[in-house]
Amino acid sequence: MSDATVDDADATGRTERLGDRLRAELEALDAARVGVYAALFALTAFYLTPIESGLVSAFKTNPAGISSTLPFAPPPLRFFTLEKWRTAITALGRGMVNSALYAVPATIVSALLGSFAAYGLTQADWRARYKAPVLAMLVAGIFIPYQAVLVPLSQFWGAIPLRQLLTPLWVLGVPSAYTGIVELTITHVAYGIPICMVLFRSYYRNLSEEMVEAARLDGATFRRVYRRIVFPVSTPMFAVVLIYQFTQIWNDLLFALILVSTESSPAAPVVLILAGLGESMEGQDFALRMAGAFVAALPTLIVYIMFGEEFADGVAT
Amino acid sequence: MAQLELDAVRKVFTDDDGSDIVAVDDVTVDIEDGEFLVLVGPSGCGKSTTLRMVAGLETASGGDIRLGGRSIVGQKPQDRDIAMVFQSYALYPHMTSRENMSFGLEESTDMTDEEIDERVQNAAELLDIPELLDRKPAELSGGQQQRVALGRAIVRDPEVFLMDEPLSNLDAKLRSQMRTELQRIQEDLDTTTVYVTHDQTEAMTMGDRIAVLDGGELQQAGTPLECYHRPANRFVAGFIGEPSMNFFDATVRGDRLVADRFEYGLREAAVNDVAGAEGVTLGIRPEDVEVTPGTEPADDNEFATVVDVVEPMGNENAVYLGFGADPTDPFVATVGGMRRVEAGQRVIARFPPDAIHLFDATTGEALHSRSLEDADPAEPRI
Repeated sequence: MSDATVDDADATGRTERLGDRLRAELEALDAARVGVYAALFALTAFYLTPIESGLVSAFKTNPAGISSTLPFAPPPLRFFTLEKWRTAITALGRGMVNSALYAVPATIVSALLGSFAAYGLTQADWRARYKAPVLAMLVAGIFIPYQAVLVPLSQFWGAIPLRQLLTPLWVLGVPSAYTGIVELTITHVAYGIPICMVLFRSYYRNLSEEMVEAARLDGATFRRVYRRIVFPVSTPMFAVVLIYQFTQIWNDLLFALILVSTESSPAAPVVLILAGLGESMEGQDFALRMAGAFVAALPTLIVYIMFGEEFADGVAT
Repeated sequence: MAQLELDAVRKVFTDDDGSDIVAVDDVTVDIEDGEFLVLVGPSGCGKSTTLRMVAGLETASGGDIRLGGRSIVGQKPQDRDIAMVFQSYALYPHMTSRENMSFGLEESTDMTDEEIDERVQNAAELLDIPELLDRKPAELSGGQQQRVALGRAIVRDPEVFLMDEPLSNLDAKLRSQMRTELQRIQEDLDTTTVYVTHDQTEAMTMGDRIAVLDGGELQQAGTPLECYHRPANRFVAGFIGEPSMNFFDATVRGDRLVADRFEYGLREAAVNDVAGAEGVTLGIRPEDVEVTPGTEPADDNEFATVVDVVEPMGNENAVYLGFGADPTDPFVATVGGMRRVEAGQRVIARFPPDAIHLFDATTGEALHSRSLEDADPAEPRI
């Protein structure tokens, strides 16, 4: 018997085995399983289509490319352009800087203050009768809709002579419209504290009590316990809160409209500029609007990727 | 290092509905400088609460706690110069073993980094863990975490060590190893130590003295052998010793005890001790019951019994004996491991008159304890 025959026999054996396996797997594919996969696939398509449509639209010429192709079809070569991205980046650039100027500090400060508040409400020794009202007020703060506070908010900032207080900045050459950015920062910190506090509170309530007691017996004061034990241990929760808060603040249009109001202001945040991007008397430039939306969403994506690993930890706890 | 005094310490918790729960009731114990005291009792007896009051983690509702003669009630935990080892070890998860151990010194002293390093290194060598210093708790086994937790207490060089069931999360073999090691370390350092456990074996083997708590009240404080041979009451007698002491309720009729299943003849000393009492509880330790083959009791200290169950343990057998043919309510005797005893066998059980304990049936107070005359006088057992 030659080697070739052996190989042939071997190959036949393999094919048969492969066939068996295929048959077994096909048999396992009953109607229910097919249904589940079909439903999952349909749902995925349903959720991804808008994003995909937006992405391909952003590369199309307007109006020729947009009107002559299907919304979710990729652009044919003759309608392909990067022009819209260039325009979007130029138009949104200063808005992105302005947004970052209040979103970054507001996110960090509200997360920190929320963490302090949660630490005080969970680990400090005070009577429930005093603790309960403070907690109740903070929790109620989460449920106040932004719309309900718009008028009091603008009156509040109208009553505060913030522009005068910040005179040194204007002397240095900063346009005085940036008062709006400072107002936005403080407003977002105030409105962010309740939700941050609640997120941290659930985390701190589950902290090992013995660990905190051990630290106190080790001679650490209440403040030092926070600084050296509780703060470092709550990194995963900080990731969750930072991502959540940053997305909220970055995407918020309502406060920006009230406190900065015009897209022509030098301090206009990205959301204000985006709202008017691609609108003109001749109609809407859909391709530009899509490109603009993606550019404006980029920072939130970057933040998510930066803290993604800790975020997963934090959500799991 | 200093003497620790607990003077009528009380702890009352107020429940949500306003009712008071007394967790610790007038506990008074003096712990000598350098002494190893074990607080032992069943769960919920108030032993951990007592320890936490010494640490300052709970506020005492009454009484006084003095360390080296000065009251520490009202002082914050961080001002008490006390180190505690927790059941869960309570290590700081984000710090390495070295950082865990130096944390206390950084927070409570103004030692330089070099001095702290040296202390940590010495403690690590004492505990045989220098190679683990740069690992984080998650990378350590339970036994290793236990050592780091001990190290964290040792480097502080405190007046008092408090240990709250530190060995209960370890497996049996490691536990007995750490038990010996803890004793060695405590002897080396000669630091006053209060150790809480529910395990009477730990209490017997580790303590210079043990304090038995039940229902928040101190039942007895004494050396392990005192508690074993001269239990103050029925609770201590039943709690200390494994297997537990056998108890039989009986009434006194002159120089005889009449129980449900048997009558027992008392010696003169015992008769005098129970004078005036009507209902008593007869107690005898399993190892004091003498088991011999046979069916005919020779006197009123011997009983005809039937072997119900035998639990061989190698070095000895725990034999469950029932009176007559009825195997309900068996009592336990331990016999040598080499002796052959089988279920169903008829044997004579003898309760030697000098080994019995008698307790008041209502109060549980000890009326008569076993005599220790057979103890070697050259080496007093207490």
